[in-house]
Amino acid sequence: MRFHLIDRIESWTPREQITARKVTSVAEDCWRPTPAGPVLSFGLALEALCQSATWLMMLSTDYRLRAALLAVDEACAPRDVVPGDVLRTHAVVESMSDEAAVLAGLVTVGGETVLEASGILCSLMDAERLDDPADTALMGRQLLGKGAPR
Amino acid sequence: MTTMMLVPGFDRVVELVPGERAVAIRNIPATLPVFATHFARFPVLPGVLLLESMADLAKAALGDGHWRLRTVRGVRFRHFVGPGDQVEIRVEVTGRTDQTAQVRATARVEERVVATARGLALVAAEQPWEGTQ
Repeated sequence: MRFHLIDRIESWTPREQITARKVTSVAEDCWRPTPAGPVLSFGLALEALCQSATWLMMLSTDYRLRAALLAVDEACAPRDVVPGDVLRTHAVVESMSDEAAVLAGLVTVGGETVLEASGILCSLMDAERLDDPADTALMGRQLLGKGAPR
Repeated sequence: MTTMMLVPGFDRVVELVPGERAVAIRNIPATLPVFATHFARFPVLPGVLLLESMADLAKAALGDGHWRLRTVRGVRFRHFVGPGDQVEIRVEVTGRTDQTAQVRATARVEERVVATARGLALVAAEQPWEGTQ
């Protein structure tokens, strides 16, 4: 699967918070079968929140740093995500340096919490080590609704 | 009981003692589609997919019924896992009732611990599952 779990960034405040959105579709290949039908795995719901956090780190540092997940103190998924749900992720920075950040956050569907996580510890890495900076910046523009540069 | 049975998502089951523990191997070939985007310059298996493997093996270790991962506690990712690695996942059931189960999990690559989960809390899933109606 294409491992991008954020479709839009709706708002962000440098080094403070981000709200992002992911629409889900039955056409995606991320669904897990259950006796009652397909659901998004716990891990991918958590990943959507963590990817919001890494975009906040990248935007806050002008794409210089990106986050790698080191630890999660606790995460709870009170209900499942099903095809057609629209996820809204909201991550809040509790602390941040040039080496690491700690965040907490929520994933909601229609205002109902589907995942809540605390103590999300991320190592901040040189973003160029992971991806081409031009590609990352282009995707950032798309997520922010600015489209491709002309 | 050591068995040759398959657990979805794993390439080999080393040990499976229903209700108690399980050990299984998941190979990480470079052909996994996730490596195309995670990341282009430095392919690494997303930690959450290791967490999912732990949960999958936990469900197999519980042995019966349908289980849903509800809560994780104390999850640590200590080293990157990438193409060519063979990950050995061990889970141990630390508590269980009819409706809930607690499982501890560890992932190793060549004896090096790459990830741990102090607690996976699973709940018995009844049909229809919450959120799927």
